[in-house]
Amino acid sequence: MQRKLFFVFLIAALAYPLMPLSSDYVLHVMTLIMVYMVLAMGLNIVPGFCGLLDLGYVGFFGIGAYTSGLLTVHYGMSFWLIVPLAAANGAMWGVLLGAPTLRLTGDYFAIVTFGFSELVVLFLTNEIWLTRGPLGLPGIEPVSLDLSFLNPDWFWYFDGEPPYFYLAIFLVAAVYFLLKRVEDSRLGRAWFAIREDPMAAASCGVNILNYKVIAFAISAAIGAVGGSFYARWYLFLSPDMFKFWESFLVLCMVVLGGLGNLRGALFGAVIMVSMGEVLREILPALGLPPEVRFLVYGLLMVLIMRFKPAGFFPAIASSGKTNPMLVALEKRICETHGGASGSDS
Amino acid sequence: MDPILKIDCVTKRFGGLMALAEVEYEVRRGEILGLIGPNGAGKTTMFNCIAGIYEPTSGQVVFSPEPGKNIVTNGFKSEKVTKLGIARTFQNIRLFNDLTVLDNVRLGCHCRTSSNFFGAVLRFAAQQREEQKIIDSSMHWLEFVGLGKNALSDASSLSYGNQRRLEIARALATEPKLIMLDEPAAGMNPQETQMLIKLIRAIVAEGITVVLIEHDMKLVMTICERLVVLDHGILIAEGSPKSIRENPMVIEAYLGRGAA
Amino acid sequence: MLDQLLPQLVNGLTLGVIYAMIAVGYTMVYGVIELINFAHGEIYMFGAFFCVMFISVFGVPFYLAIVLSMSCCAIMGILLDIVAYRPLRNAPRLAALITAIGMSIFLQNLAMVIWGSRPLPFVQDAVPAYLNETAFSMGEVYLTWLQVFIFAVTIAMMFGLFFIITYTKIGTAMRALAQNKTAAALMGINVNFVISFTFALGSAFGAMAGILVSVYYNTLYPTMGYMAGVKAFAAAVLGGIGSVPGAMLGGLVLGVAEALGAGYVSSLYRDGVAYAVMIAVILFKPSGLLGKSVVDKA
Repeated sequence: MQRKLFFVFLIAALAYPLMPLSSDYVLHVMTLIMVYMVLAMGLNIVPGFCGLLDLGYVGFFGIGAYTSGLLTVHYGMSFWLIVPLAAANGAMWGVLLGAPTLRLTGDYFAIVTFGFSELVVLFLTNEIWLTRGPLGLPGIEPVSLDLSFLNPDWFWYFDGEPPYFYLAIFLVAAVYFLLKRVEDSRLGRAWFAIREDPMAAASCGVNILNYKVIAFAISAAIGAVGGSFYARWYLFLSPDMFKFWESFLVLCMVVLGGLGNLRGALFGAVIMVSMGEVLREILPALGLPPEVRFLVYGLLMVLIMRFKPAGFFPAIASSGKTNPMLVALEKRICETHGGASGSDS
Repeated sequence: MDPILKIDCVTKRFGGLMALAEVEYEVRRGEILGLIGPNGAGKTTMFNCIAGIYEPTSGQVVFSPEPGKNIVTNGFKSEKVTKLGIARTFQNIRLFNDLTVLDNVRLGCHCRTSSNFFGAVLRFAAQQREEQKIIDSSMHWLEFVGLGKNALSDASSLSYGNQRRLEIARALATEPKLIMLDEPAAGMNPQETQMLIKLIRAIVAEGITVVLIEHDMKLVMTICERLVVLDHGILIAEGSPKSIRENPMVIEAYLGRGAA
Repeated sequence: MLDQLLPQLVNGLTLGVIYAMIAVGYTMVYGVIELINFAHGEIYMFGAFFCVMFISVFGVPFYLAIVLSMSCCAIMGILLDIVAYRPLRNAPRLAALITAIGMSIFLQNLAMVIWGSRPLPFVQDAVPAYLNETAFSMGEVYLTWLQVFIFAVTIAMMFGLFFIITYTKIGTAMRALAQNKTAAALMGINVNFVISFTFALGSAFGAMAGILVSVYYNTLYPTMGYMAGVKAFAAAVLGGIGSVPGAMLGGLVLGVAEALGAGYVSSLYRDGVAYAVMIAVILFKPSGLLGKSVVDKA
């Protein structure tokens, strides 16, 4: 039933831009939600699978965005080449930051990541020769898809919201698919183990530090990919788009959805971004300045931590119950032992 | 007579507290050795020093996975010790409660397998084969401890005795040469204890040496070939169960002066 | 070059004692409940705003306004604990941390809604005129009475705090709580009361710092708590989180480092000094200058 609903929704979403009354504003918001979905899925890895709090996620988003922006503005590089480069750059910074810091306890790690992202913003603001600092980086080329070597007509310039909307859907699907596969693998199991009980994980031979660094690097790479898309979509970058507030916002999305839960991260992104847009509309009508929505966000987080700290989808995603190997196994167990696989309760 | 594990004058101090004081003994290949002593004697500390959770303050822990190959494991991290071939279970069961029974054992297979991020995402044939091998190996050990039919249940849904067996299955999946069981019979009723005895004997039959911390004296006397007795961090006796049972120092340690 | 040294040093020390005042609040709270009170910076900010409110709206004289603001902030700190942190006393650390950040954002924006987001000047007419006159001078260097006042007040308050922590019953209770909560409770210490007291004390210090800064720089704005909070936190970490003398020392060191760094190295990365210090301390000596070394419990 849930699957059917999902497909109906997906078809509706895919068809939306083609419908006569579709508005660019709605498409823009939906694309924004999808950018945050990518970020939320990326951030989810660190607290969700390693039990550590990353307060500086926006730093990787910013690194990816500026990598993408600068490569485009100075070298006119194709978007499709930039994405893997940004991912690699993000991963590299993830390793550089993670290797010395992931052995720290939770609070200290949180502080160091926070310091890192603030230093990134300072760097972006001050190194004017590179980034144009507070003036920002305008005039970034939109994405284009050049398959003209196959057929001279196959050149598309991403003009307007719809192409980015579809690209964003593709990005979200790709990241989701990738992480789902990782969950149901030796790597994913090791991460769950680290989150649950690091001592027991070590007794199984899991090299805790290495796996934490891998998680952090992948998380950073995903953030950078989100950033590289953002640069080529928004077409303008400036350092104050990457402040601590963004890290907190993405963290709220992850927590809202339930730490470690991939689908929850998507849900969190939808809720937080749409709530922001709704508040932006409603508040002036109530006579309050739109900035009050930040007040609401803060209050909301306090309330959620008070009453629903595990988020709305608390269960750790069951890894690969649909994996064909496990389905075959279940059948075998039934045959060997007769009756459904038993629990003792 | 080449011991698989040699505890060579090991001392462990925590600030002012001397948890282990110049303890010296050997574990012979293929035997079932019992490590006993009153509460607070330092038995779990001993396990932790061997397993890499603590580093001995002085002395050496020498592990010899094969005859002639001696490795000093002082200061090695847990994961490295497991890879070398020493597995352990915990006094307070440490299972991955939010995972399935099968997943717990699959984690035991971690140190003997190798696929990484790219394998996970791209699902090469080699990675898929390894995943199948992991499932088969895990099922083998689950059947070995008698939990085959529970493979796909949540670990938290098992009874206490079965949770202990699961922990043993997980430890066995690391393909150890030496397995250390920390109070495996705690909380078990007599039938379960009997099944545990059979299980331990089956483990030894697989060629794995067993070191056992236990308080259940009946189990210890039945199954252990040799005993090492600790009291307040000092090794006070070593020998066959019969000789230990009659050793006045041991009796005094457990029951107090005047009970001998 | 060197003729800049003394003025920069004085600058740095002034900055430093203020950081120390704020840092002390962070470190005391962390000591008793192991929580980084992200909202502490906002209490610092509210201290300044309350003071201005008392002076301009209620016509209260300068010194009395300071005392009243400090009291209001002390109450605010207690309420913050009771409403936001106490319900999460036994919750996972992540939840408490997020709540702290959430409260910080809430308070920051509350101030913006009430007073607008533009910087306001301090009410200079209320400040006794003699504070702006030079007290001492030595060549290029001069100290105003205001600076003397800042040093005097902060040093006096530090001594007062030291006295409270070392010699009073409640101070001993605070130290006991920081070492072992369960044992302290078993000894009959009213844990909640001591924690509330800690918040009150820390908040009063923060408020004083906020007032002094807004008078010294003649400006206050709702987001002033953010940067000051981060720097003071860096100072607390530098000194060893949980150690009150450490926070005092850390504040001074950070203030001087920042002033000298801005003067001699680069004023653009002035704020970066705090972050760099924080990261460096955590990486290389997490227990800080005066903190106890963290024993590895397995």
